[in-house]
Amino acid sequence: MLKKITYAFGALTLLFGLWGFYDRFAFGHQDANYGSYVVWGLWVAMYLFFAGIAAGGFMIATLDLLFDIPAFKGTGKIALWGSLVSLAAALLSIWLDLGHLERIWKVYLQGNPSSLLFQMVWGYTLFGLLTLAALILEIRKPGSRALKIIMWIGLPLSLFISGAVGALLGVNASRPFWHIGLFPVQFPVFSLASGAAMMLVALGLFGSRDDPHRPQQLWTLSLMTVILMVVKLYFIWADYSQSMYGNVPMNVEAIRRILFGPYWWAFWIAQLLIGSLIPIFFLSQPKFAKHNGWAGWMGLLVLMGYAFARGLIIFPALTVPELGALTSAFSGPHLSFDYFPSLMEWAVTSGTIGIAVLGFLLGSDFLPLVTKSQKEA
Amino acid sequence: MTNEASLVEKYASEVFAGLVAPAARGLKISLAPADGPLAKEDALVRMTAELKRALEKPASERHWVMVIDLRKCVGCNACTVACVAENKLPPGVVYRPVLAEELGTYPRVTMKFLPKPCMQCDNPPCTPVCPVNATYKNEEGVVVVDYDQCIGCRACMAACPYASRTFDFGLTYTQATPDGFDFVLGQSNAGDYERIANVEYGENRARKGNASPIGNVRKCHFCLHRIKDGMLPACTTTCIGRATHFGDANDPDSLVSELVASSNVMRLKEELGTEPRVYYLA
Repeated sequence: MLKKITYAFGALTLLFGLWGFYDRFAFGHQDANYGSYVVWGLWVAMYLFFAGIAAGGFMIATLDLLFDIPAFKGTGKIALWGSLVSLAAALLSIWLDLGHLERIWKVYLQGNPSSLLFQMVWGYTLFGLLTLAALILEIRKPGSRALKIIMWIGLPLSLFISGAVGALLGVNASRPFWHIGLFPVQFPVFSLASGAAMMLVALGLFGSRDDPHRPQQLWTLSLMTVILMVVKLYFIWADYSQSMYGNVPMNVEAIRRILFGPYWWAFWIAQLLIGSLIPIFFLSQPKFAKHNGWAGWMGLLVLMGYAFARGLIIFPALTVPELGALTSAFSGPHLSFDYFPSLMEWAVTSGTIGIAVLGFLLGSDFLPLVTKSQKEA
Repeated sequence: MTNEASLVEKYASEVFAGLVAPAARGLKISLAPADGPLAKEDALVRMTAELKRALEKPASERHWVMVIDLRKCVGCNACTVACVAENKLPPGVVYRPVLAEELGTYPRVTMKFLPKPCMQCDNPPCTPVCPVNATYKNEEGVVVVDYDQCIGCRACMAACPYASRTFDFGLTYTQATPDGFDFVLGQSNAGDYERIANVEYGENRARKGNASPIGNVRKCHFCLHRIKDGMLPACTTTCIGRATHFGDANDPDSLVSELVASSNVMRLKEELGTEPRVYYLA
């Protein structure tokens, strides 16, 4: 029943997304609310979100496919599939954000290797191919030596691509909110937590209910998620408190906008309360964490919290003017320091989510992602 | 009365007909007396001559800089408008906004103006982040954008500490206006002037569909297309207070070299180490 509802949810979000895709292709970026000051918007935030799940999903897959941890036996393929679907959603989201998406080939053939974006495009390409190869190998030749080699290469690569997202933002000295050494360090932690949460959803809500390993898997994933979320909260505390004490105006202003400004609800309610504290409360208790439904829904809340967290990383930093008087210097469309995604942006993101949801469900239904031993068990 | 009229006519013709074109023909024009203690050559005339001198050198031996005297800027926005007209900038694209700030408390208040073109940094944060080498510093010291190479990722915009880059969303001023019929000039006809090619970087790019520069990041380029033909940037020529100065920093005798050596010179956000080539006299 839940699967049918999820199929319907995926179809509806995709249907809404089709209008967004049409608008995006027919009118370019005209109907977007990001602009020349808030240069990146919802799609970039969602790219960060999905890319985090992709990297984290791969990391989780290594528990089964590389490190052979008994409790996770049989979960590698579903983790890889989740990673692959998320990667596709991430790349779709960021590709639609380009002004000239038909020129993406230039990054491969005429690229600038010193650019982090260049490195990430190549990194994602290699990562996607490795994930696909690992999935095919695990389906056709489970436990092969080639698979181990791929997983060994993929593990550091997944750390690199998630850290690179932080570095992509962190290298901008013009944005004190981003320009902290911790940024590239934080993102792999976020990614692993996202991957664990994705697995909670996959196993808790859509996994087979009679798998004897399931409660242990969910409990381990829950603990992992809780610990990583506490670490994430510590990162946020360290980041915000240092910034506030440091009192660099641009930095303080960005944080003020998160805590008390236009994005307060996204931080306090969506990210902290619903996306962090409630899941931490339930996932830290075995009776809830080992329960398929509770674990799955809490995993979903964690993911939702991470989606908001990604937005709060991107938007507030960009809504602070580089020079105070810029806000009124020149009027025109897309020259604003206020940002809330437009309907078209929401629609495109809805479509991307729809594709990811349907892709995941179709894969779990039609691909041999569950091992025989699991089925038999 | 006749004398007043002739005086007005003389000065009006000099001011409004433009000082650069006669200067280009070698004519010396000055609003100051031709001789005596107040005799002084107009800055535009001098800078135009220096520009021609610089153009005789190989491109790699000149380094264009701009010096803006904030004490002379009256915040008229003529430079902004001239830039928009020169480069046929669409809605939402601006290369040279003028930042206005009110200082003091009533009744002791004043306005401070800061024209802000691209800083043409010698150590630009915007160029290394470009994944396709679409933006780079050319041999004359100007940070340029290759419109055919730019993929529109806007990483350079995020990296710029001066918000000197804007994205071309493909808008036109007339797109929301009604279309005309017969003799009534409507959107399709009135908008033609917006779609006519501009001459940025010496290229002709008509605005149509998603063709560049639509979907690209755009920025001030010191009117390289005008410089090539011996003309000062549009903002410099148009500045009514002669607050904007332009020239070759590698020429020790140029006006900009003199001004850059002033004790009251400053640059924006020097602490970032971007080495801007736009200087301000404060």
